[in-house]
Amino acid sequence: MKESIKLVVVLTIICTIAGALLAVVKDVTSESMQAAAQKEKNDAIKKVLPTCDNDPVADAIALDVNGIVWTFFVARDSNGFLGAAFESTSSKGYGGDIAIMVGVNANGTVQAVEVLSHKETPGLGAWISGEAFRSQFVGRSIADTSWAVAKDGGDIDQITAATISSRAVTEAVKAGLDIYTAHPKSFSHISAKGAPQ
Amino acid sequence: MKFWKELVKGLWKENPIFRLVLGMCPALAVTTSVENSLGMGLAATFVLICSNAVTSLLRNLIPAKVRIPCFIVVIATFVTIVDMLMDGFAHELHKSLGIFIPLIVVNCIILGRAEAFASRHPLWLSIADGIGMGAGFTLGLVVLGATRELLGAGSITIWGHLKWTLVGYEPMILMILAPGGFIALGCLLGGMNHLQARAAKRRGTIFSPPAHLDCRSCTMCTFGK
Repeated sequence: MKESIKLVVVLTIICTIAGALLAVVKDVTSESMQAAAQKEKNDAIKKVLPTCDNDPVADAIALDVNGIVWTFFVARDSNGFLGAAFESTSSKGYGGDIAIMVGVNANGTVQAVEVLSHKETPGLGAWISGEAFRSQFVGRSIADTSWAVAKDGGDIDQITAATISSRAVTEAVKAGLDIYTAHPKSFSHISAKGAPQ
Repeated sequence: MKFWKELVKGLWKENPIFRLVLGMCPALAVTTSVENSLGMGLAATFVLICSNAVTSLLRNLIPAKVRIPCFIVVIATFVTIVDMLMDGFAHELHKSLGIFIPLIVVNCIILGRAEAFASRHPLWLSIADGIGMGAGFTLGLVVLGATRELLGAGSITIWGHLKWTLVGYEPMILMILAPGGFIALGCLLGGMNHLQARAAKRRGTIFSPPAHLDCRSCTMCTFGK
């Protein structure tokens, strides 16, 4: 009996100290953790959009399509609307969700694609974040491209031995681009001054 | 002198991967590239040193019956602290190592060293053991990772800067998939036994590898019998 009380007491003390330590560290780091995550997203938005005068995050507009809200980060300068960036996610990756950030010009062609997060196989599917694969999307629009990987008869060259990952990224780009292209009115009245209220 | 002995034993004589054959789950999972191996090795080394130090300090306070839960709590706490600190202050590094850090908790080398060494030795020897075992683990991972990346991807890239390519080599994709990990590990273990057997022969002694790694006590095949 005496021994088991000692066991409980020691274990409780160790766990309490560990818990307190973790709480302190969490408190110290949580702010910079959130800031870092936000900064990462903002950097990706900046990378895929043309140079602009405004803050695309502050001027974002939301489109509700069939219950799914798409956020478009709008870029503009003194000449008016330049393009928009959107985040798109595919659940059809080989190892889980693939999140990408796509920048589109005012005329509906892809400006750049960045991979935000993925869990694909290192050395195979992970090459979706490589320049060689991503740059294929640049300059393409919904109308002039067959949006499928070459193996399925489309225009996008899949990564060797990573067709599933390549297919998922292609679908994610197309999904957002479809929304953007189908709602020209949401963007056409953006002027140099800002989005209409 | 004793400090030095504990420090270097992990590199070859008691190498965690090739001699103790511990921590195989992360070893096979992350060694698809040199970059991942190095990151996992360094993160595990840090946790190993910290957990060895704390375990050694607490070794007289922890009752034998609950020592395993106590060690696990200490290890999990350090891993979570590393995870949070890295996420907050070294976000880029955290992004490339992110998935490996929680894996360190289940790395049996760390629990193994706490149980087999740190709970029985004073602080400074335990720290030496942590540094040596961590370095040996890192070395083993990097050798395994280099073999697999070179054969499986045809080139070695470290954080985008250093790059070596095998010219005119068609990459054997199998090597960076799970089976390639087992194949590479088996070949490296065999090679290491062979080298040691030859060195022992030259000295006129007989080399006996740990029984579970010895081809002579294995019944899987008849090679060399």
